[in-house]
Amino acid sequence: MGTENIRNFCIIAHIDHGKSTLADRIMLLTGAVTPREFHEQLLDDMDIERERGITIKASSVTMNYNYNGKDYMLNLIDTPGHVDFSYEVSRSMAACEGALLLVDATQGVQAQTVANAYLAINSNHEIIPVINKIDLPAAQPDVVAQEIEHILGIPAGQCFKISGKTGEGVEELLHAVIEFLPTPEDKSSDPTAALIYDSHFDGYRGVICYVRLFAGSLKCGQKIKMMATGSTYLVTELGKFTPRMSKVDGLGAGEVGYLIANIKRLADVTIGDTITLENNPATHPLPGYKKPMQMVFSDFYPANNTQYEKMRQAFEKLALNDTSFSFFPQNSPALGFGFRCGFLGMLHMEIIQERLERENDIEIVQTAPTVSYEVVKKDGTVEIIDSPSQLPDTSHIEELREPFVKLEIICPTDCIGNIMKLSEARRCRLIRTDYISATRVLMEYKAPLAEIVYDFYDQLKGISSGYATMDYEFIGFEASNLVKIDFLINGKPVDALAMIIHRDNAEPRGRKMLIKLRKAIPRHQFEIPLQVAIGGKIIARETIKGFRKDVTAKLYGGDVTRKMKLLKKQKEGKKRMKSIGNVSVPQEAFMSILDNSEE
Amino acid sequence: MKHGNIIISQPTALYIHIPFCERKCFYCDFYSEPLKNHDVPKTLGAMLAEFDRYKFESPAKTIYIGGGSPSCLLAENLLHFIDEITRRTGKAKEFTIEVNPGQTNPALLNKLYAAGVNRLSIGAQSLCKKDIEFLRRDYQSATVTRLVNAAKKAGFDNISIDLIFAVPGSNLRRWKRGLQKAVSMNIDHISAYALSYEHGTALTKMRDAGLVKPVSENLDRQMYEAVIDMLAAAGFEHYEISNFAKPHKQCRHNLTYWNNEEYIGIGPSATSHLQRRRITNIRDIHDYCKAVEAGKAPVEECIESDERNFACETAVLGLRKICGLNLAKFHERTGFDALKMFAEPVKKYRQLNLIEVSNGRLKLTRAALPIANSILCDFAGAD
Repeated sequence: MGTENIRNFCIIAHIDHGKSTLADRIMLLTGAVTPREFHEQLLDDMDIERERGITIKASSVTMNYNYNGKDYMLNLIDTPGHVDFSYEVSRSMAACEGALLLVDATQGVQAQTVANAYLAINSNHEIIPVINKIDLPAAQPDVVAQEIEHILGIPAGQCFKISGKTGEGVEELLHAVIEFLPTPEDKSSDPTAALIYDSHFDGYRGVICYVRLFAGSLKCGQKIKMMATGSTYLVTELGKFTPRMSKVDGLGAGEVGYLIANIKRLADVTIGDTITLENNPATHPLPGYKKPMQMVFSDFYPANNTQYEKMRQAFEKLALNDTSFSFFPQNSPALGFGFRCGFLGMLHMEIIQERLERENDIEIVQTAPTVSYEVVKKDGTVEIIDSPSQLPDTSHIEELREPFVKLEIICPTDCIGNIMKLSEARRCRLIRTDYISATRVLMEYKAPLAEIVYDFYDQLKGISSGYATMDYEFIGFEASNLVKIDFLINGKPVDALAMIIHRDNAEPRGRKMLIKLRKAIPRHQFEIPLQVAIGGKIIARETIKGFRKDVTAKLYGGDVTRKMKLLKKQKEGKKRMKSIGNVSVPQEAFMSILDNSEE
Repeated sequence: MKHGNIIISQPTALYIHIPFCERKCFYCDFYSEPLKNHDVPKTLGAMLAEFDRYKFESPAKTIYIGGGSPSCLLAENLLHFIDEITRRTGKAKEFTIEVNPGQTNPALLNKLYAAGVNRLSIGAQSLCKKDIEFLRRDYQSATVTRLVNAAKKAGFDNISIDLIFAVPGSNLRRWKRGLQKAVSMNIDHISAYALSYEHGTALTKMRDAGLVKPVSENLDRQMYEAVIDMLAAAGFEHYEISNFAKPHKQCRHNLTYWNNEEYIGIGPSATSHLQRRRITNIRDIHDYCKAVEAGKAPVEECIESDERNFACETAVLGLRKICGLNLAKFHERTGFDALKMFAEPVKKYRQLNLIEVSNGRLKLTRAALPIANSILCDFAGAD
């Protein structure tokens, strides 16, 4: 099949706008799934995704479709929908030529819709705007089409109005995919160049690479070379997701599929790398895509020091399927050996933490997430630090710079007041407001990343009854009046609790954090003083009183089982704690200092 | 019905639970039912039938009749029941019965002593008027004094009283005064418990509803320390967290529990500990009787301890004793080296002066006693 019969595309959407349902509907129309399977998926979407994630919701699915008497090969490439993962959206986009921009007819354009649309436009994608869920009573497809026109400049008349659920309009949409989306360039006679856009580790077969062939071809038995790492492998299996993994003899230019080559070392596969043939290599690697930008950093320590090695192995395994986070060994005077980790955002961090604990049974103590800072030293050198403990002595610092982002919020107009209040408290500067319809507005801010990365999104959801959405994009580092604040437990500064914050609110926040910390650390057998210091000067103290009385008065023959159970529960409460000196500090304490809520 | 198919070849501690009270105390979580609602002779008969499931090849080590309120039974019922027990188990060297002030008279005390009972545990609860009122008991401290004197006259030379401190509304002076009264009665043993808020009791519900305000942790501790100091000065040995005895008057029966040894519990809700199994009887009196009458074991729950769990229990219970754990014995009984098994907490708490290891024993220090749970919980389960 020539490349003129191939279409590679992805669906980009805000979370919950119906991406999976549309994908399933397309698979049904093309015969990739049976009506029964389709039904099952609709009924049990999440479970299926969890249980059979790799086969059904593979990173891609190859479908055959006959249109006007011609056979076409359609490759649908999956994209995640959360703000943290715009990087993964961009890497999926790098593997295809066009995108369906899906918008919920009841919700309208959301912050991620805009962000993803810009990503698509920047990667020269052809975009087909699609308004979904038109079967719902609350659907306002025309209003949404106007929003799309207003904000993205795509004429409202070009929008496809569909329902993934009922199937209405999806057939016409498929025809549009074939008619409007570009065909892959035909470079079948060039030296082989395949982009690894995702990968997966299979316990039996090793690394499975998800590839898009841009030039030449791949065949089983060929010797391939990873252009970034230089390692070579023998191709043992090639295939496509249909959506099940089905073997093929070869993959040609423009096609999408998977490659297995007995790759056992996790480190040997870099997502975004180019695969070529050893004996006829491409001269240049494919451009790949924008490197992921880590926005949030946090230390992970095993609650129990003996689990350090287990934790390292778990990180390595996780890193295979997720190259967008990083981990480096770290030794904290207070917490011992652990890892400094970088993430795309808070959700990303939470996912990794959960997977570490659930899949590997490691109890983790994690420090409050922080952003990175630029330190301009007196000698003129500039250093990037991603942990407050790396901050040099103030006498060496000329200037401290913090990361700023362009923050876009889309919300109903009646939330504007509350959002202004919130963003002001978080040092955000309003750049512009743009009424995208009579009732909804886009507000663009310049915001310090540190102020919005932790709980801003939750607060935003809270004050807008869930209607506001946000997205942000890194702009650059700018000088700010920042200070380091330290917490002392039992008289000793705890590096893992140190923070960098703006001087203007350092003192009130420091006091507030100290109270949160006091509430988060349980009582011990002795009194524990807590102090907060700004620039080395103690500004406040709190005390955690010791237990005065805590003993079971009566314990006789009939009480043993029950009382033992209660003691075990009391012990359980001590888990997930890190010993700092004689003080056991629970996981919550490290996070508590970021808790902005009152009381 | 099969009789005596469980053979008890060693002298074993026996606990007999009388599941009746005149009325339920609002702070108590032991199982008991109002006397007037039940057929007492039938229940006692069922308990004897439960006895007959065992065959005693040697006399009981200790016997303890508790409840409930054993003294609320009609004297003839109680005495007959005691005769039936000793007929089966022989007379124990230590034979305790719990009695309530106001439920006993000299004649009954004489008969109890003659029947082989040689230790009295008096549920005085308090000797201060206001505390007695709060606890809704219907006697005065003089009632307790009279009971003690009558018991001595009847021949008892091992008399214990139970006291409760940290009663809401109380204060340190009042508690010390009551304690002094107990000391002046010249008795042999005192159990002093902080009022506890057990799950499901009316007291706990009242506290949760804000109707009762527990004393502060500080006062609770001061009261506890006052007991320790005053009773030491009065010649009592502090031998368990809440228990104090004149020389040679420690309660051997209760030591069985703290040594994590075997015992048999008879009666509704009673627990036995045999071959590392904790077997708890059916609580409900009717269901209990039905099971026994049908020749079945009246068992509601049976929990078997694995080796580690058994060792943990032995440690937690043993550390309640002021003399602590005998490390060699611990090893012999459990197969574990306590200092290795609990290396982490032992190290930590030695540093904090809450635990000491000396003369082959591991024990809580005085400073640890008021906050023992915060330490013992680290011995309750080994990772």
